[in-house]
Amino acid sequence: MQSSSSPAAATALSEPLRRPRVVGWGRLPAWLRFTLLLAALVGLWQAYVSLKDVNPLLFASPRAVAEAFVDGWRDGTIPRATWTTVKVLALGIGIGALVAAVLTVFATLTKIGDDLLVLLTSILNPLPGVAVLPLALLWFGLNTNALLFVIANATIWPIAINVTTGFRTVNPTIVAVGRNIGLSSRRLVTDVLAPAALPHTISGLKAAWAFGWRTIIAAELVFGVSGADGGLGFYINNAKLYLRIPQVFAGLVTIAILGVLFETVFGVLERRTVVRWGMKTVPATSGGGEG
Amino acid sequence: MASTLDNVSRTREQPANGSRSTGEPLLSVEHVRLGYWTPAGFNLAVGDVSFEVQRRERIIVIGPSGCGKSTLLKAIAGFISPAGGEISVAGRTAPPPGPDRAVVFQEFDQLFAWRTVLDNVAYPLRVNRRRRADATASARQFLELTGLGHAADRYPHQLSGGMKQRVAIARALALEPAILLMDEPFGSLDALTRARLQGELNAILDRTHTTLLFVTHSIDEALVLGDRVVVLGNAPSTVQELVDVRDVGAPDSAAYADMRRRLRRLLANKGEEVDENAVFV
Repeated sequence: MQSSSSPAAATALSEPLRRPRVVGWGRLPAWLRFTLLLAALVGLWQAYVSLKDVNPLLFASPRAVAEAFVDGWRDGTIPRATWTTVKVLALGIGIGALVAAVLTVFATLTKIGDDLLVLLTSILNPLPGVAVLPLALLWFGLNTNALLFVIANATIWPIAINVTTGFRTVNPTIVAVGRNIGLSSRRLVTDVLAPAALPHTISGLKAAWAFGWRTIIAAELVFGVSGADGGLGFYINNAKLYLRIPQVFAGLVTIAILGVLFETVFGVLERRTVVRWGMKTVPATSGGGEG
Repeated sequence: MASTLDNVSRTREQPANGSRSTGEPLLSVEHVRLGYWTPAGFNLAVGDVSFEVQRRERIIVIGPSGCGKSTLLKAIAGFISPAGGEISVAGRTAPPPGPDRAVVFQEFDQLFAWRTVLDNVAYPLRVNRRRRADATASARQFLELTGLGHAADRYPHQLSGGMKQRVAIARALALEPAILLMDEPFGSLDALTRARLQGELNAILDRTHTTLLFVTHSIDEALVLGDRVVVLGNAPSTVQELVDVRDVGAPDSAAYADMRRRLRRLLANKGEEVDENAVFV
């Protein structure tokens, strides 16, 4: 606009902008980089099986695994097992979240509730979820309730810890603003505290999901089957029992794919909320880096 | 740069003296004492402070750090109750927090991060029973007033510090408070932005006729914005002096310089030793 009036600025402004130069691998888009890496790993795997003449009863080739995977989805065994696992997991996390919510409210409102939560979480959170499985089987018998108990126990504590931390660390200024604009106590919780604590709540749910997911697969491996419904852990164990090694691998692949899928869902949820609002910075690499 | 400073000067209209003296004060602070509990005991910050604010008046509370000026503002806003004395607003004694005393804080994080700029201003109006369309229209109007019409759809984290404070001011003004409370709202801004916002605040208050209670530790800010300045001493603080600064003129005037010197002496620890009358007759 001012190019005629200030020639010095005009020359600088009209020059093309220099771009930082990225060379080689880093220049490729993320999806391509990861696809290429995955293809290379599968290639190595196939090469190992083809060249080394491994015992097919111990190790399956990618090809055999792919066939078992497709067959499993065609005849419905993998979808059924997946559905069983996901259903129990969702219900377990639901129960866990509900109990966690009650504990959190109690801990936020009273000092004794706060102390109780601190005590319970410090005892029960470090306990691996499956460790209580023998007791659960004793109490509930060989049924879904035992699994639900184990999952709920594995998810209550990470959710409760994170949500109480979230509520406790809300910036006092924003709470003051809430009171200043005339919010009732109830709306202060729903309209200010809850959204302000959302980053912690999502972290809690992520941790709960990760704990619950590992716990249910492990529990199903030990637990076996209730009635005709066996989950993914059972599917793997069962395939091993009949020495259907490609099926064992296909079960593992399914678990991995579901894991990536859930991470993606949480990633999208975070990007739409806390990242969009600047309450959490985006991790440098694309794709979830959950430990 | 000189022109920027000139813009900050007191170009606003002066309220007629007669209009202030009639009726009861909008805000009255009577022998208020404020402090906080420490393991060692009660720590008194505000020892005994009294003053009154009339409608449309702009009062600046100034004092050394630790004198309890921010605590005093929080007490007027209703967030803390005094350990002694009485605060009444429009005849109500010790009112709970409410939008009739809208507060603008110093921290940039006073905006709702999960709401857009527009919604940060409109939401408090909806909380106060305004219809959605009405609240949105009003919010737009106040954002225009603070020069942020173009940023209505952004989220707070996409704004600069100065813009965030503008949104907070728009939000507070949109609530049409009886008295606007500001707690060092420009304290975290760079000097140029601060000067610009001071000028804009003056212009906006000229239009809205909002009563203002403004806490600062900057003498220049007090002179540029205030009608009267309440000078607090060290903790436990009392009112050192209530100074009328309505007629000090532009920052380059002699009267301004004199007043600046006087306030500076009052704020210095040796304030009592200086003979004010030697400077001001």
